[in-house]
Amino acid sequence: MTKIEIMNTYKPKVLIVDDEKGLRIGAQRLLTRENYDVTTAENGTDGIKFGTETEFDLAVIDLKMPDVDGLEVLQQIKAKYPNTVCFIATAFASYETAVEATRLGAHSYIPKPFTPEELLSNLKEGYQIRLVNLEAEKWHKEREERLLEVAFEKTRMNTIVNSITDGVLVVNRDGLAVLYNPAALRFLELPRIAVEEYILDKLRPEIFELFKKIVEEKSSEHKSYTIQIELKPNREFFIEATASAVLHPGENVAGVVIVFKDITELKKIEFVKSQFVSMVSHELKAPIAAVYGFLKLFNDDSIKLSPEQKKEYENRSMVRLDGLLKMVNDLLDISRMEMQTVHREIKRVCIHEVIASILELFQIDINKKGIHVIFDQDEYKQCIKADSDEITRLFTNLISNAIKYNREQGTITIKLSLSDDYLLTTIKDSGIGLKPEEKNKLFTEFFRAKNEKTKNISGTGLGLSIVKRIVDSYSGKIEVESDYGEGTTFKIFLPTIISN
Amino acid sequence: MSTKKKILLVDDDLDLLEQNKILIESKGYEVITANSGKEGFETFKKVKPDACVVDLIMEEHDSGFILCYRIKKDEHGKNIPVFILTSATYDTGFKFGASTTEEKEWIKADALLNKPVIIEEFVQKLEAFFELKK
Repeated sequence: MTKIEIMNTYKPKVLIVDDEKGLRIGAQRLLTRENYDVTTAENGTDGIKFGTETEFDLAVIDLKMPDVDGLEVLQQIKAKYPNTVCFIATAFASYETAVEATRLGAHSYIPKPFTPEELLSNLKEGYQIRLVNLEAEKWHKEREERLLEVAFEKTRMNTIVNSITDGVLVVNRDGLAVLYNPAALRFLELPRIAVEEYILDKLRPEIFELFKKIVEEKSSEHKSYTIQIELKPNREFFIEATASAVLHPGENVAGVVIVFKDITELKKIEFVKSQFVSMVSHELKAPIAAVYGFLKLFNDDSIKLSPEQKKEYENRSMVRLDGLLKMVNDLLDISRMEMQTVHREIKRVCIHEVIASILELFQIDINKKGIHVIFDQDEYKQCIKADSDEITRLFTNLISNAIKYNREQGTITIKLSLSDDYLLTTIKDSGIGLKPEEKNKLFTEFFRAKNEKTKNISGTGLGLSIVKRIVDSYSGKIEVESDYGEGTTFKIFLPTIISN
Repeated sequence: MSTKKKILLVDDDLDLLEQNKILIESKGYEVITANSGKEGFETFKKVKPDACVVDLIMEEHDSGFILCYRIKKDEHGKNIPVFILTSATYDTGFKFGASTTEEKEWIKADALLNKPVIIEEFVQKLEAFFELKK
């Protein structure tokens, strides 16, 4: 053996199967000296037993043994460990047995009797082959694993692309569909696409233009282009398509990938927002215009106003400015709630106390209209955990409405009770009530029931919208019952996180 | 004897209604007011004014148009100028105007007046209509 292998701590394992005791002992001595790890078996049965129990690097098997034939031993070992390099040792080599042994996987023959050198050179060569085989097997395994991985990646990619809700379509330079996902069909309004199908003539002109822009792009900085298309009118289905180049190595445009997004919800929000802005500006403009108009009258020398008239218009200006200020405050509140920048201090809030103090605040207005308030704050005491400012705001808005929209000498009945897990506050007024169509719009910003009876009542149209937002933010609910001309009942349900 | 020309002014903002009434009266017209589209048409039928000035956005958003349409369909109304008063083009940025024949059939206002009303401009436009009819 070479020095290298002596230095190597690994000892190749050899199995010697032979019924000749002398040969076994001689071989063992020789091979041990040459740094092999030797095991011997004195018959075929043991040979099979040992050779299939552990994996040997090499095996030398006698062909003729009394109990089991050497070929049988060979076959068994090879079946279990195909990489064990096996030699058949025999004095009776015949062409047939040679062929048979090779067929069964023997590496070669060692004719008997053999010299120590012959044995060693055979084993050395066999061991080399063993190493090469093992290496080859390792490579083979790795390659198979890699292939499996690639296949797995591919199906995984497909699964992912197919699962995303955005539409994906890849078209090559020649306009053939290369890849798409089911979502893309919805955006393209196509029943199906076949891979490799020419698709350009099936695309909407706007999308075709996108494709052309990318393919015809001359500059090397490959930009993406985005367009928005209203597929169904009235903001029913709005999509956004973004096209980017698929690049080959070397910066050539191989194709175009188009990603489609459903932006219907976004467009709806945008619309609501601009509607809101337009409404707000109209509502803000009205009081400003009124005050401006009065000031202009005061300044117009050609118009003579009596002192009483002047005083009246000053008062009316104040009322309008007051309303404007209230509206701006309400708007700020709404915006704070929407941006969730409201700093909340959650602590025990007792509703009966809140209501009592609000009623006290409104006492002047209540007396002025001669309204009879029915509320016994000791009848039902109930506390919840909430922000006391918000709860006060909530009931202030409702009670102020109950007064404002009430008739002279009317009544307001306020009752607290428990309804399942909710604290129920019922506020009933004997006011003008609501028409059915007004009830639906009640919580919308700037909605004010406008009719003969409300004409002279001022308000911002934001109060109930704020009420609804507060109730929602505590996971509560609000119900309205009303008959036009008969009064309105608000029922506010607030979860009782803590009772009493 | 010069009889004053009667102008019907319709606006749901009571302050603006009064201000414009004073302004227009200061130019020598008689002004009759109404503060809703419904009341506006009733007053129109009653007093048969020489001109109407109608606020565009009242209770319901299109009630200025509706009132204008009803006046223009009336036997007396089709011969008098109807002005629509609006601030919509200013503060909402939305332009309104007739784009289809159907809409043109609808919006039959003779002129648009932006808020706040510049009284000289209004008088000039109004008198131009009265001149034309002579």
